[in-house]
Amino acid sequence: MKARSAPYLFIAPTMILLLAFGVLPILIALFVSFTDMNLAGLGNWSVIEFIGLDNYTKLFADPDFWQALTNTGIFAIIGVPCVVIISLVIALLLNRSGNWFFKALRTFYFVPAITAIVAISLVWGYLYNTQFGLFNYILSLVGLPPVQWLSDPVMVKVSLVLVAVWRGTGLNVIIFLAALQGVPKEYLEAASLDGASEFRKAVSVVIPLLRFAIFFVTITTIIAWLQFFDEPFVLTKGGPLGESTSVSLFLYQTGFSASQFGYASAGSVILFAIIAAITLIQLRTRRSDDDY
Amino acid sequence: MKRSRLAVAAPVAVVSIIALAGCAGGGGSGASSDSKELTVWVMGDSSAHFDELVAPFAEKSGITVDTVAIPWDAVDQKFTTAVASGNGPDIIQIGVSKLRTFAESGALLTLDESALADYPNLASDNFLDGVAGDATAVAGDVVSVPWVSDTRVLYSRTDVLAENGITEPPATWEALRTDAMTLAGRGDGQYGYYIPQWDSSLPVIMTWDQGGQIVTDSGEIDFDTPEFEAAVDLYTGFYADGSVPTNADFDQTQGFTSGATPMLVSGPYLANAIEAAAPELDGKWTVSPIPSGTDNTSLLAGSNLGVWGSTDNKDGALSLLDFLSEPETQLTWYGIDSQLPTVKAALEDASLTADPLVAVYAEQLKDSALLPLVPNWDGETGKALLDALNSIVLTGTDTKTALQTLFDATSGTSID
Repeated sequence: MKARSAPYLFIAPTMILLLAFGVLPILIALFVSFTDMNLAGLGNWSVIEFIGLDNYTKLFADPDFWQALTNTGIFAIIGVPCVVIISLVIALLLNRSGNWFFKALRTFYFVPAITAIVAISLVWGYLYNTQFGLFNYILSLVGLPPVQWLSDPVMVKVSLVLVAVWRGTGLNVIIFLAALQGVPKEYLEAASLDGASEFRKAVSVVIPLLRFAIFFVTITTIIAWLQFFDEPFVLTKGGPLGESTSVSLFLYQTGFSASQFGYASAGSVILFAIIAAITLIQLRTRRSDDDY
Repeated sequence: MKRSRLAVAAPVAVVSIIALAGCAGGGGSGASSDSKELTVWVMGDSSAHFDELVAPFAEKSGITVDTVAIPWDAVDQKFTTAVASGNGPDIIQIGVSKLRTFAESGALLTLDESALADYPNLASDNFLDGVAGDATAVAGDVVSVPWVSDTRVLYSRTDVLAENGITEPPATWEALRTDAMTLAGRGDGQYGYYIPQWDSSLPVIMTWDQGGQIVTDSGEIDFDTPEFEAAVDLYTGFYADGSVPTNADFDQTQGFTSGATPMLVSGPYLANAIEAAAPELDGKWTVSPIPSGTDNTSLLAGSNLGVWGSTDNKDGALSLLDFLSEPETQLTWYGIDSQLPTVKAALEDASLTADPLVAVYAEQLKDSALLPLVPNWDGETGKALLDALNSIVLTGTDTKTALQTLFDATSGTSID
């Protein structure tokens, strides 16, 4: 009896936290999304009315929401492959040597992941600034015209993705480095005996063995990018003309700035559904990796 | 719902039991000590200044004033949390553009004539007409009293203007446009004027100055007027002429002090920023009334103060408001925090009008108007207005199409 309850006891704290801060809010949001809850309703619950699917029909007719969805899609499509590929390449290179220099580099790559977003945005805001930014100064040195990094509708997406990739790479490098420790030495020795080059070993032995790590990093990165929020929030507030508004930022703006909690909840339920669907598809299509 | 109510109710109950126990443990002093404390939420970062301002009040009344500074960016969130938890301050500063949202939450105490009868300084005819009493009533209820005022005036770099043969700051929008073109002709990276792409009040000011209104007599928002069209032509004209920078991250203080944008419309806070950032420019810049078209109405902005509905110290809160509305207190506040008074007597005080900058502000305040008190100016009406104008000037959207989008987005919006 005791032995049987032990595992439940161990997972209980996590489960309780998950239910309280993960599942319960989603259920509440689902409920709120069927109401017209706003700031007045928050103060006085009796004025909240059930309006059924009105929020959802309104949301699907809202061009701003579609723009935010499209932007998020674009951010994810550019950002996810960049983060996964760049962090994998960096991890492979860092793993080639264990001397002090490479150890210092690991720290170096991890620093952006732990630096406060406000500090990051201040620095990048100055780098990107059209008037006195470093980037435009460098361009002017080689005779190129200034670029409107954060004001041009197309450029702003690239600029934000650049910051987010820079910021998101460090953590994934660490995950890949940990996974690289698990690659059996025998396989690499065998490959060396067969005369495989370093590059060949990386492509044919190491990367296939990292399949699970790559899968994990890809899924978490996709989820993170679908919830893309910090960079546009602090660097552009979603501008110009909503060109850098992500779904999360849209939800924040309608929910907290415009106090339309019902409407924002409907949007968050849709975002949740999208993320759940994409994650499920990935889990389904993953081949089982029993070839270790 | 039942379940979530329970989930909320349970911890609340536990907390209140503990709180009650605490009170009981403290003996009889619990209740009386409550009325000796006031929590005030001030916006921005002037809490130290505010402490200084209310020190005499605290001394006289024996009420401790606890000032909490709320950054402007966090105002909405902070207020939402306070409404949701029912755990607000006693007094809260409210930017006038947020007034309607705050009022509709039902969290603020109604401050009608009868509630204010004992506090002579709070009578509405003491204050600037534009923000006093009914002018800032929401659905007939007055929930705030004026606190500080703010208006927009024209800033110009007289030295730069003079170098280019312009002897006086332009007095009309037409002259401003001509001068801006002249100044923009100085070369690459040099402009004549600056339009903040995030400021939804500028196009409204321009409409007023063309003699128009954006609210009809029946209280509906209406942009479909010839005067607004003229304002749009003026606004977009600056971009068409290349007189204004197009990047959204242009820094207005930096632009003004460097001379890249030697003219711009802004509030009194810019004067402080210039004095702080570039004291060497002293005497090389000036402020003048907003340029005129047929009118020269400017924006009346600023902040009001409201009392939280569930405060347990209503009398203390009102007497603090009364103290803050004394002309001397308002003048002291200008002295330590550079915020313009809303009390007429203070605005006419010789110590203020002796300062030529303030004389211009005070004069402009007499001809200035509030943005319409629609449910959500910043997030909806004002945003739709900026989106329309910015899409014309930044992405080249056809003016007719952009304006039609604006009319559609704002139709049916009403101040009632």
